[in-house]
Amino acid sequence: MDASEVEFLAEKETVKIIPNFSLDKIYLIGGDLGPFNPGLPVDVPVWLALNLKQRQKCRIVPPAWMDVDKLEEMRDLERKEDTFTPVPSPYYMELTKLLLNFASDNIPKADEIRTLVKDIWDTRIAKLRLSADSFISQLEAHAKLDNLTLMEINTIRAFLLDSLNCLYKLRSNQHPGSSKGQFADF
Amino acid sequence: MFCEKAMELIRELQRSNEGQLPAFNEDGLRQVLQEMESLYEQNQTDVNEAKSDGRSELIPSIKLRHCCLLRNQRCLTAYLYDRLLRIRALRWEYGSVLPANVRFHMCAEEVQWFSQYKKSLASFMRSLGGGEGLDITQDMKPPKSLYIQVRCLKDHGELEIDDGTVILLKKNSQHFLPRWKCEQLIRQGVLEHVMS
Amino acid sequence: MDTQSYLPVKPGVGMEENFLSLDDILLSHERLPIRTECSFPRLGFLEKSSDSHDIPEGTKMELPLWLSKGLYEKKRRVLSVELPKVYREGWRTVFNADPNVVDLHKMGPYYYGLGSQMLHFDSPENPEIAQTLLQTFIGRFRRNMDSSQNAYNEDTSALVERLDCLEKALFSSGQSGLNSFQSWEKGRASQLTASSLVLNYRKRKINDLQP
Repeated sequence: MDASEVEFLAEKETVKIIPNFSLDKIYLIGGDLGPFNPGLPVDVPVWLALNLKQRQKCRIVPPAWMDVDKLEEMRDLERKEDTFTPVPSPYYMELTKLLLNFASDNIPKADEIRTLVKDIWDTRIAKLRLSADSFISQLEAHAKLDNLTLMEINTIRAFLLDSLNCLYKLRSNQHPGSSKGQFADF
Repeated sequence: MFCEKAMELIRELQRSNEGQLPAFNEDGLRQVLQEMESLYEQNQTDVNEAKSDGRSELIPSIKLRHCCLLRNQRCLTAYLYDRLLRIRALRWEYGSVLPANVRFHMCAEEVQWFSQYKKSLASFMRSLGGGEGLDITQDMKPPKSLYIQVRCLKDHGELEIDDGTVILLKKNSQHFLPRWKCEQLIRQGVLEHVMS
Repeated sequence: MDTQSYLPVKPGVGMEENFLSLDDILLSHERLPIRTECSFPRLGFLEKSSDSHDIPEGTKMELPLWLSKGLYEKKRRVLSVELPKVYREGWRTVFNADPNVVDLHKMGPYYYGLGSQMLHFDSPENPEIAQTLLQTFIGRFRRNMDSSQNAYNEDTSALVERLDCLEKALFSSGQSGLNSFQSWEKGRASQLTASSLVLNYRKRKINDLQP
């Protein structure tokens, strides 16, 4: 999966905006949007929020977790725990990037938030590698991926799956003939 | 040793990385087939002798030649198959019309295979969406907007867009065009996607 | 880069080869030291050092893996295959001590592939060989993962030069994951780019013009 596809999925998440125009409710296959009234907060998908924002039609209200104090708390917990802690949104990384790129003027302390989220990400990726290594070296048969996000899994997916495939083949070497019949004369 | 020619074919493909298509090695192919013919003939002679004169000591040699026949067969099949994989990829990278220098590397049967693949793909795409048709070679990445900014990397002549307007694609000129019109041209290196 | 549409047939790894995989065909072309256990009449020309009509019993020569596999029979002695040095006890001890110090490219380059294929030939050492292959892979895993996931935008030739073919393939799949994430982070993921195939053709055309 390409990172841009993961981002595309993230754009379906909803975010609160405060429009500066009025428009009746619109009915789409993906769900109804609006109605829009100036000054009245309304929930819309991120792709729409960003589009309106770029045309200066709204102000974006950052999600509650996008806050320096809360993120600091999360970062500290993430560093303390050995396992993956629950994240505020399954798309925390993507949303941070999208909202900070297009609406940083609506988000207080944008730069600090960017750094904090990156810290959390780095800590989690380091954990991911550590657990991938122990998974391989202890020849475990299954692993729980609780609390991991799609983007995180995506960065290691190809490598891990290919490695596990090799590992499986090298392990089957120990019991020759168990997988299939005798060798073919290629 | 036998089968060296066949290995050369395989190495030749392996050297052309990133899916490039080297020229069809007709000569190499012929030489392998010749070797197979002579292996087969020698085996026929030995098999007959082994049968009629009871010379079972010939069997190991017969088996060795037989292995070589199978090996040559494997190499040729893999050579042709891998080339087809590369040719199929060309449809997705270049579009349905291939530049002459690429077509030049294909043998007649491969050209024919390409045009049949092209047709199957086209009729599949026409059948999608309740007869409306859908071009599945478009939007390989999720689109961010309907229009994009592009720069021409070389003179490409005229381009007609949906509303009938004709645009002249001149080297270094910049345009704001419908994304679906540009995607193929960008992949072909005619246009460059300019990010704001 | 990740929209590459040419997907070659993957090697089988392990004991099973993939019939159409170019990698496996190259792997099975590796030469093995063997000793003939019967004579091969009328094939003397295959053995360069002699000019006899036949290959006599007891000749020591090198044959490619595919041929050794094809001729080898468990019941009838046609030929015996000698284990290449890297898989013998001496080297196995080195691998078990610290797999990270070994230059698998020099020893291989098909260390895992050839080693797995050697298991087709009956040998009392087979269980140890299989065990060493597995432990070597596990022992080197962490280093390979870290180097493939950390090296961004740098010359990776030094990192891969000591890797065996299998590890190299893993390295590049790790790199593609990293590169795709990094380009997304830089906001380049949604940019449409020219096909690398097309660019390479152009490069080649220019090279052809410059003799």
